Amino acid sequence: MPGRDKQPSPVIEVNDLHKSFGQLEVLRGIDLIARPGEVISLIGGSGSGKSTTLRCLNLLETPSSAGLLKLLGEEVHLKFDKQGNPEVSDRRQLRRLRSRLGMVFQSFNLWPHMTLEQNVMEAQVQVLGRPKNEAREIAHHLLERVGLTERREMYPAYLSGGQQQRGAIARALAVDPEVMLFDEPTSALDPELVGEVLTVMQGLAEEGRTMIIVTHEMKFAAEVADKVIFLNQGQIEEQGTPEEIFKAPKSERLKQFIQSIN
Amino acid sequence: MPEQTLMKPHRLIMVLVAAVLVLTFAFMMDWAWLPKYSSEIFDALWITIALLVSSIVAGFLLAVPIGLVQVTGPRPLAWLAMSFCTLIRGTPILLQMWVLYYGLGSLFPYMPGLRQSWLWPYLIEAWPYAFVALTLSFAGYEGEVMRGAFKGVPRGELEAAHAIGMHPFTILRRIWLPRAVQRVLPTLGGELILQLKATPLVATIAVVDVYAIFGRIRQETFIIYEPLLMLALIYLILAGGIAFAFRLLENKLPARG
Repeated sequence: MPGRDKQPSPVIEVNDLHKSFGQLEVLRGIDLIARPGEVISLIGGSGSGKSTTLRCLNLLETPSSAGLLKLLGEEVHLKFDKQGNPEVSDRRQLRRLRSRLGMVFQSFNLWPHMTLEQNVMEAQVQVLGRPKNEAREIAHHLLERVGLTERREMYPAYLSGGQQQRGAIARALAVDPEVMLFDEPTSALDPELVGEVLTVMQGLAEEGRTMIIVTHEMKFAAEVADKVIFLNQGQIEEQGTPEEIFKAPKSERLKQFIQSIN
Repeated sequence: MPEQTLMKPHRLIMVLVAAVLVLTFAFMMDWAWLPKYSSEIFDALWITIALLVSSIVAGFLLAVPIGLVQVTGPRPLAWLAMSFCTLIRGTPILLQMWVLYYGLGSLFPYMPGLRQSWLWPYLIEAWPYAFVALTLSFAGYEGEVMRGAFKGVPRGELEAAHAIGMHPFTILRRIWLPRAVQRVLPTLGGELILQLKATPLVATIAVVDVYAIFGRIRQETFIIYEPLLMLALIYLILAGGIAFAFRLLENKLPARG
């Protein structure tokens, strides 16, 4: 694409990413570049590999092989154990990089034995080594931002799904991540709770955060994303601006997919 | 807890029955031996409680790594831990205690240098064997329980910690272990009571616990039922105390997610 070279250097750069679970090859050569401030949506049917792609980006899944895996300007190297299973070579580097990537899960995954405030403080204190007072102040600020100030003393079990997910977003933001990864953040929510989470995410996109979002919310993807990537059977079938993808799909599969969700 | 009133016919009858029983025990039975033995009973009670508490603490500290390695590996350690749990849970604790005391204990004198070591004064006592046997037994049972508890913590909660860059030891200390302990708490109270009721076995290797002292009282006074009743009451109070403490503890903890 012309003019790409003049843009700021990518925060995430992946080349020829492969992932197999046993005999099953889930990812068959994914290329992905995310530049600062970009919002990228990964869409595709179930089993297309969109979640696996996202989870490979912070190495919750270790790729089976990758031509290049560059996070925040640092190359991550893989090695293989005696059984041939892939591993990250430098665990310390991985932890450092992970602390600069925020992840939001489909099932929230707040820590149930901590209050909302403690959840948001935990990584600040344990990973970044911030003093507790400072961490608490930042937690207050973030929880206010996602509209949970009154709930900050509550345990996750007493919160609705939407509140839990907003809390989980605050927890991910607490380490000032350079990229936010969202793995189907609204899929586990009751329909009436989806909006409150999307609103928070839209706010993040508007303030210029780099975000990679796996989602089934096509309207949201069309509205918020700079780039939409359509995956099919572990490969990128088509990518482009939301207009290109949703208004003028080229490939047969994407046409089918868009028809099936409307 | 809902408000309860005693003014119901069946409760009044129960209270009456209890009052009659207590009065019968107090006035119709022979308690004259009690003052004479009271200081010995307290000493023995202390032994029982000390063995219970120390074996629980040490056993649980062992159970955490025993449970953990069975989930995380490495495989040889996991296999070792599993074999230990199978061995302990598959044989009577009485047998384990006797193997330690009569078996191992009788071999120690033949080990060169051991008689001169600082360990020797302890090795010729009975209580260290009792402590070790009770500890290993508790570790075996709780190791298995902890394995299930570690495994039962939802993977997503650990992934969230990994994803944010936490060190594995921090995750264990701050997330995995607290969540696992939270999960075993309801069963742990029952396990402690079982452990309490395993302690009388130490009387068979000449440790004078509360069970042993009442045996001696019966032999010396030829009174049978009163000491047994008293002993039952003591165990009931101890078990009740444990159950009560755990109920308080569980109510203080946040709901499980």
